[in-house]
Amino acid sequence: MNINKIHRKSRAWLRRHSYSFFSSLGVLLQHKIGTLMTVLVLGIAMLLPLGLYATLANLEGIDLRQEEWGAVTVFFKPGTTQSEVKRVAEELKINLQPDTVVIISPDEGMAEFRDVSGFGGSLDMLAENPLPWVMQVSPNSGAPAIVQQRVEDISRYLDKQENVERIHFDFKWLQRLGRMMELGQATVTVLGILFGLAVVVVVSNTIRLDVASRTDEIEILALVGASHAFVRQPFLYSGLWYGLMGGILSIVLLQLTLLYLGRPLGLLLETYGTVFSLKGLGISNTAWLLFSAGFLGWLGAWIAVQRYLRQLRVGGRLGRH
Amino acid sequence: MIQFERVSKLYPGGSRALSDVSFAIERGSMVFLTGHSGAGKSTLLRLVMMLERATRGQVFVNGRDLGKTPDRHAPQVRQGTGMIFQDHKLLNDKTVADNVALPLMITGHRYSDIRKRVRAALDKVGLLEKEKSWPLTLSGGEQQRVGIARAIVSMPPLLLADEPTGNLDPKLSWELFDLFREVSEQGVTVLIASHDLDLIRRMGRRVLVLSNGRLADDIPASIHEH
Repeated sequence: MNINKIHRKSRAWLRRHSYSFFSSLGVLLQHKIGTLMTVLVLGIAMLLPLGLYATLANLEGIDLRQEEWGAVTVFFKPGTTQSEVKRVAEELKINLQPDTVVIISPDEGMAEFRDVSGFGGSLDMLAENPLPWVMQVSPNSGAPAIVQQRVEDISRYLDKQENVERIHFDFKWLQRLGRMMELGQATVTVLGILFGLAVVVVVSNTIRLDVASRTDEIEILALVGASHAFVRQPFLYSGLWYGLMGGILSIVLLQLTLLYLGRPLGLLLETYGTVFSLKGLGISNTAWLLFSAGFLGWLGAWIAVQRYLRQLRVGGRLGRH
Repeated sequence: MIQFERVSKLYPGGSRALSDVSFAIERGSMVFLTGHSGAGKSTLLRLVMMLERATRGQVFVNGRDLGKTPDRHAPQVRQGTGMIFQDHKLLNDKTVADNVALPLMITGHRYSDIRKRVRAALDKVGLLEKEKSWPLTLSGGEQQRVGIARAIVSMPPLLLADEPTGNLDPKLSWELFDLFREVSEQGVTVLIASHDLDLIRRMGRRVLVLSNGRLADDIPASIHEH
């Protein structure tokens, strides 16, 4: 095949596609109400997984401040000297760079206890101070997953120190938050698959009706020599349009929802001491969503048309009265 | 142009539509195919258009062995064949010009080229002024001529017509046959299935007679072609 022939063929291909492109748009515009309803269904179907995804993305981005989750408290073994405690603190600072390390001597601890507990003088009866050296370590602030990682690193590091008796940190809720996020992400995946399937089914059904109402046209096209690809193209374009329009609608709905929820959510999070602003999807996620939506619409159309095209095979129904 | 070699066609369920049919049609000739209804005329045309495959025997169209042609090449076979139907098979929601343009759309011709060719085809069947009309506003004879314009617009080497005069009065039928004659004189092979014996006789062309799926008679042309 020489270059000229390839050129001619690709131009013919382009012209056939532009024909399908415009005829598919024409059909969608012809049935405005039907198109609108289909797009609405698709948009809402896509909004559910999308909304949950956006919520999770926003939660992940919350900056956890240290006053909210406290610090890792380290109790040293009895008999540990001040210099040993200081050495552990210095090494910790060098190795893991926590935000702050506060050392509390047994005397300081006793003083504080005396103030807080109200036992006062009765504590003087103790022959010696029973409190150990204590160190409070605060990791740097950050997103929940990062804070959890830092706490784990610090705990693991200190656990290996032979002077350390016990490490205390109430990070159960941090862990719970992490688990909830994992659960949420799994839910997004499941919802995404289910509603993606719904998009395929909805588009497929719409296109099936479209095909059924145009069987005469398809038959005539096939009789005058249209290939299956040519018959299929306008419907595939319709599917693509449905998917894309549904995707765009779901993004619009999501933005509106975020706008509406933004203020009450901000007020709620303020009580946790967190400054918060809702983020939208971002460019790459938007592109990804539109691509997926378009593809799913295209796929639905393909399935619908393919079922019908089987009747057009040689020896089939084509051209019979 | 068309060659049948001992062709038989059995439909699923066992009904025999064609039995051991052999004939050949020269390029550029005009041939009639006749016989009682159910004699196998439509089946024969369906085989030429590759809408069906022969159960036995070989069908050649334009040098191509259709028995060895895969299904996916059926559109190419049909693109080389202009087909005219008894019920016109026009799209009523497209204008006359758009209907005629279909075969060219399918092969991806340039729009300016399509316009030119569509007008030429409509001019040939005498319907140029109806270019922008809707098919349903035309008479039966005019609709059939639109069908012919569509069949010849891509200048295929072969034209098939299945009972093209089925619903027309004798005068219109004669005009239509005359149009087919004109087309065939430009080198297009024309095969017309019809049971309008009176008209066929007056045309004086070769006639293939089918009876119960067999080729019962092959009457040569009584006039000299070309």
